[in-house]
Amino acid sequence: MTTLDDLMKLPGAMAAFEFRGGGELLEHRIAYPDRINQSILDLLAHMCAANLSIATMQARGWEKMTGMEGFYPIQEFTLIGFDWSVVVSGLLREQHKQAGKFSLPPLMGVVMANEKADYEAAFAILERKEPVQ
Amino acid sequence: MSMIRRLLALDGVNVVCHFRDDGYLVEGYGLMSHNDMSRLAQFARDYRRIAQGNADQLAMFSGMRGWTPPHGWIIRGARQSVCGIANLVCIVDSFGAPLNEILMELREVSHW
Repeated sequence: MTTLDDLMKLPGAMAAFEFRGGGELLEHRIAYPDRINQSILDLLAHMCAANLSIATMQARGWEKMTGMEGFYPIQEFTLIGFDWSVVVSGLLREQHKQAGKFSLPPLMGVVMANEKADYEAAFAILERKEPVQ
Repeated sequence: MSMIRRLLALDGVNVVCHFRDDGYLVEGYGLMSHNDMSRLAQFARDYRRIAQGNADQLAMFSGMRGWTPPHGWIIRGARQSVCGIANLVCIVDSFGAPLNEILMELREVSHW
């Protein structure tokens, strides 16, 4: 059972996906093809990759300016839309970076319906410890 | 008691701020200086606009309804996270905080 399959078990899950740091869509699962498709997921993945980069810049700037710590590195970004939410994580990738690996795993994300969304459960799956090989 | 101040009673909530549409800090509570709260308010207002713009473009390019207008955003850091809903922003512990409950409260308070 892969992490994508586990993400699809979340309440209200519509899609789960993997993507590269540049936003290119890789593997994915879709629960409701009439509502969301591969092309939309590809756009969404690019938007999320951009937001992770923006958030990373802001975290670095914020920590430097205020002296506060604990924001960098950014682990997840979530957009809560009107009806849908998307949660994406770069934590596994970050763990590989910190371990000095050159080959990095993809980022992962899930799209959920807001009325059933369980953000804590989504983070718990996305932050599950996996051995760095 | 201020309506937003009650958010500080939730586990893991360290700072909460209410800001105007132009980013001016209206009120803020928690473990942060007033100057940093003003900066946080400005940051949250800017990020809200970024999220709004991204959701608008996603909706336009994809034709998928239900993304816009967005309700909020969460940036989850190694130990601290920032959550924004409407004109409210709060800093919470990344671990141990009841995030679902915090988001529900933020949403409720944002309507007042």
